[in-house]
Amino acid sequence: MNNDDGKQDIQKYTVYLDAVSKTFHTSHFLYKEEETGKRSLIKKKEACAADRITFGIMPGEIMGLLGPNGAGKTTTVKMISGLVKPDSGTVYVNGMNVEKKRKQVLSQIGVVLEGTRTSIWPLTPLENLYYYGNLRNIRGKILKERTQQLIDFIGLTDKKDVEVRKLSRGQKQKLAICIALIADPKIILLDEPTTGLDVQSSRSIKDKVLELTRKYGRSVLVTTHDMHVAQELCDRIGIINKGKLITCRPTSELLELFSKQIFSLRLDRNLAEGDLDSLAPHITLLETVSAEDGSTITVQVPESYFERSEALYLLFETLRRKKYQLRSIQQKQVNLEYVFLQLTGEKPMLNGIHSEEQE
Amino acid sequence: MLGFLLIMKAEIIRGWIITRRYWFRTLTGLIIGYGMLMILIAGFFYSQPAIEKGINQLDDPTRATNYILGFIIGLFAFGVIGMFTQGIQGMAQTGVLEQLCLSPYGLVTNFLARAVVASVTTIFYSALMVYFVVLSVGGKLYFDPVPVIVLLTLSFINLLGFGFMVGGLVLVFKQVGQLTIIVRMALFALAIFAREEFLQQGWLVSAFMHVLPITDASICLKYVLVSGQRVSSGEFMSVFFHPCFYWLCASCIIWTLIGISLFKIMENYSRYKGTLGIY
Ligand SMILES: Nc1ncnc2c1ncn2[C@@H]1O[C@H](COP(=O)(O)OP(=O)(O)O)[C@@H](O)[C@H]1O
Ligand SMILES: [Mg+2]
Repeated sequence: MNNDDGKQDIQKYTVYLDAVSKTFHTSHFLYKEEETGKRSLIKKKEACAADRITFGIMPGEIMGLLGPNGAGKTTTVKMISGLVKPDSGTVYVNGMNVEKKRKQVLSQIGVVLEGTRTSIWPLTPLENLYYYGNLRNIRGKILKERTQQLIDFIGLTDKKDVEVRKLSRGQKQKLAICIALIADPKIILLDEPTTGLDVQSSRSIKDKVLELTRKYGRSVLVTTHDMHVAQELCDRIGIINKGKLITCRPTSELLELFSKQIFSLRLDRNLAEGDLDSLAPHITLLETVSAEDGSTITVQVPESYFERSEALYLLFETLRRKKYQLRSIQQKQVNLEYVFLQLTGEKPMLNGIHSEEQE
Repeated sequence: MLGFLLIMKAEIIRGWIITRRYWFRTLTGLIIGYGMLMILIAGFFYSQPAIEKGINQLDDPTRATNYILGFIIGLFAFGVIGMFTQGIQGMAQTGVLEQLCLSPYGLVTNFLARAVVASVTTIFYSALMVYFVVLSVGGKLYFDPVPVIVLLTLSFINLLGFGFMVGGLVLVFKQVGQLTIIVRMALFALAIFAREEFLQQGWLVSAFMHVLPITDASICLKYVLVSGQRVSSGEFMSVFFHPCFYWLCASCIIWTLIGISLFKIMENYSRYKGTLGIY
């Protein structure tokens, strides 16, 4: 975690979470355990949704929160917008403590939670925007103008007089974003903005989010469980799992982790311990799988072409010297999922690697 | 205050658009409502003889009007509390509740404004209904505008306080929503049967009746609209001197204080439990 920026820098960030934690407690009545079938009258459960989460969002930046379902993304968004109260830790928005200055904070952020449900379905997009504008003290000419601008911006111009219930999922999501933008907030929180949308809607929403920051200088927090969305959209990505922020760094830096090369080699016998030690740090042995007729080892080599050739050469040389026979070699491409799984410690190694059979 | 007015405006426009857009549904709703009420009243009067002793009571239009008015006050109470119970549940499901929480004016202001708009509409429909139904059974209503408006306002405030209390519970415990239908039915029944004689059943019953948020309101309204502000001896006495009127005022203040404080506590607790928008 990039946590060298101390508290004095809170002012620098539009949103800053300082060691924020949240655990939900629930009671279940007449509970039946799934495995054992045991019944109990009251069963108390707890779910950790945030465990000392610390990060900040810079002005004009798109920050992504990437994590599987139940990781605590929505909870984090809700804590920033004051809908959920943290157990400990503090959330600052523009340097203001959210718990203490809720009113001021609320007028500076726009939140899209579950976009398709935000709007009032019997009303049209235009009417929805007027309604929510009034709820946020935007009225008169300003409201009219802004509504028109937003509808044009997001691309709902030809649907502005159609009842929301007749709109598609993507269009509802777009409207929800407009509603969040009605008070012209500098900070926008989007919870899973593209989940469940078709490719085109998803594309156009991503473009609009990019435009919002690049052209209009807004800070945006996007949560998603889709690595591609995070990669395409975000300047910085925080990976969150089981309430813990595992890493938070610039997307490009994170992607370097993805660009490592992985090879798997089939040998005629089991690899003896320590045989490849001399090759560290160039080559990392990830896994050895033994079988009756030999073994398969998986290694990671540096990403740059020359270093990689060098490393591979050394590897072959070492194997030859130690009298291993190389039966086949396969290059494997690391994808986002791989790094993600590795970082979250969910399922180590080979699960996230898909074989691209190459020579 | 500005926020309150703005939200009211937004709500009025929303209500108006929906009424107009779904005018057919609105109209059929009204007609069905009227029909149902007539059936209810008919059923009520046919079963009355079995419960009460004399059939001759049917010939007494005052008594009939009394019950009809009770029905409608009951419906009103049913609606106002429903806005806080079923209403909050629905809003939590549609995600609108979270949007209201995100409005800088806060939930209490939002709900107050919504309730006022909703109840004005309900009062309008109820008044129409009272008029038609009373005409249908050949009764007579005394309409003295000042006391009626004052009493309606007070009844509304009284119910509002109670509604906030129940609403606060629903915010945290969404399952309570199902149970509140019982509370609403009880208020409904109470509005129909509330009579001054109830208050002479010993202090315990009497105190309990005064605590409930509809008894005094219902008694006062019936006193004005049905009895024409005349005590049993036939003498005129303004409702403002009626003991139940003072009980009503006290009940308003107390319920509003309790209701809104509890609602705020529950709102906070609900933010802690994360139950503002559970789907
Ligand atoms: N209101 C709540 N009551 C109890 N548990 C909750 C509540 N909200 C979220 N949780 C739990 O907290 C964890 C994180 O949830 P959430 O933030 O919605 O995850 P995500 O959005 O990343 O899918 C989950 O285990 C979820 O079950
Ligand atoms: Mg979520």
